Amino acid sequence: MIRVLLADDEAMIRSALAALLRLEDDIDVVAECSDGVQAVAMAEKLQPDICLLDLEMPGLDGVEVAERLSRTITARCVVVTRHARPGVLRRALASGVAGFLPKSRGAGEVAEVIRRVAAGARYVDPEVAADALSDERCPLTDRELDVLRAGRRGETTGQIAKKLLLAPGTVRNHVSAILSKLQVTTRQQAVLMAEERGWI
Amino acid sequence: MTDAIGARRLNRGITATWWYTVSGVLVFQVMILFIWLSIFAGMRVDPVTLTLIGVGGLIWCAASVPLLLQYRHRDDSAGPVAGWRGILIPLAVAIAFGVLSGLASGLWLVGAIPLIQSLTLLNWPRGVRLRFVIACVVVIAALWFIDLRMTFDDADAEVTSAWFLFGFFAATLPLMTVMSLWWWDVLVTLDRARAAEARLGATQERLRVATDVHDLQGHHLQVIALQLELAERLLSPGGEKQRDPDAALEQLRLARTSVAEARQGTRDLAMRFRGVPLPDEIANAVDLLRAAGTTADATVSADAAQAPSSVLGPVIRETTTNVLRHGGGNRARLSLHRAEGMWQYEIVNDAASANGAAGSGSGLDGIARRVAEAGGEVRVERDRGEFRVIATVPDAAGAVPMQDAAAEPGSER
Repeated sequence: MIRVLLADDEAMIRSALAALLRLEDDIDVVAECSDGVQAVAMAEKLQPDICLLDLEMPGLDGVEVAERLSRTITARCVVVTRHARPGVLRRALASGVAGFLPKSRGAGEVAEVIRRVAAGARYVDPEVAADALSDERCPLTDRELDVLRAGRRGETTGQIAKKLLLAPGTVRNHVSAILSKLQVTTRQQAVLMAEERGWI
Repeated sequence: MTDAIGARRLNRGITATWWYTVSGVLVFQVMILFIWLSIFAGMRVDPVTLTLIGVGGLIWCAASVPLLLQYRHRDDSAGPVAGWRGILIPLAVAIAFGVLSGLASGLWLVGAIPLIQSLTLLNWPRGVRLRFVIACVVVIAALWFIDLRMTFDDADAEVTSAWFLFGFFAATLPLMTVMSLWWWDVLVTLDRARAAEARLGATQERLRVATDVHDLQGHHLQVIALQLELAERLLSPGGEKQRDPDAALEQLRLARTSVAEARQGTRDLAMRFRGVPLPDEIANAVDLLRAAGTTADATVSADAAQAPSSVLGPVIRETTTNVLRHGGGNRARLSLHRAEGMWQYEIVNDAASANGAAGSGSGLDGIARRVAEAGGEVRVERDRGEFRVIATVPDAAGAVPMQDAAAEPGSER
């Protein structure tokens, strides 16, 4: 029996998928969670074999949940998303997510993926991979992305500089390079654009 | 994004044209100043006054710059004296300079020209400007004639001929100035038209996409609604005559197929506006493989952006997905090169499992068929734990994506 934890903030999808998965002979849904924080708590308590996590959840998103769980328990994580922003797949693979699926897959296919992942394989859906490969390249360097990440909550140049151990002048240079590469006029717009494309 | 760069470049272009217009007007003013200084020298005006007039002339030329700037940022609907504070000082300078040089030389024309030129630079309404310029030319001609009769009647031939030349330049000064400004106006109108066209293009594209989405979803939703209605009827306990659970099941199955079709159609529509050059796609693949813990690298020839992406793109996606899916092994190497008129894409990995980049086969079979249609071939080689997929496509297939792009919108409708 494969013990599965299901986390999705959309109640209708969650209950329908749970009902469909319970119909499978070898799968048992042991928990249904409606947000990321609850999913982490339940997974640590119940120690399921597989965590099926929605990407878009309030609190912690699916990849963040997977990242936390990878440090505490042995459960393998499968992330499900409606709109696979390509940067997310990179983040998910880097944090050890074992499966990545679009939400459009039927319950039968999801069960099949759960079985394969439980058997130790990794599954990346072709549709998600196609999205990721036909993605616009991020024109920013790693350092420039660091600057954007450090300033994404509206921090001042001084605060970013302190956080990254850089001189404020260097931060300003990075910011002006970012603005000219992305063709936007403010750092806030650059952050929004980078978040939208999944670069940070 | 390229559109934004283009717009910015054009904006710079328009600014350059603006300074070209300004310098044209100023050069003309300096030239006329020089001619009239040489006439004064011929009339034996004393050097101090001559220097004073020269300096005053340069100040007058400089005072034209604020007037021109005001012209650039003008409001079409406003009259010539809209920003009167800005034009007051330049006009005062022009009058002062005219009075100074007129009194020093006793020439009416010289006294009038600075003010006439400065007035020409004001923002006159369309029809008024033409009449104003004609009036200016008439006044200049009249003053020139008066001066000729009163001052140059008994002067030597050389000074008189210089006066003729000056008359010609003086009469053409307002014409040339107005023509420069008119040229600037034409350019601004063109620039606005271009911007409007770009906006219109974007709006039309949005409308087209909205229509496509509506058609697609509307059609499928209607089909699904009918299939579900039929299934409901076939299951309803009311009419025993119509009850047929098997047929109802079939309708439900069909409804699911319709949903899948609608989803795929929507996805195709969204993907139509995506698509990156092959080198970027390979770079993305390497990034993903590295994120998945595989040591990946790629060698791509510099002109790889010209490779037929509609044929090779799916190959890259399929093979990368297969490597990702099956654990990838420790290394993967991707390359894209042109050799003897053929584009060759190659991916090698050391997957320990039974499947490497080749995958379970079915996905790659479909792609091999498409590559064969484009006149190329896909080879799969296994050799000492290394899996290698090589796709070769003739260079001429580069024309295919263009045709695809042209044919696609038509076939969607």
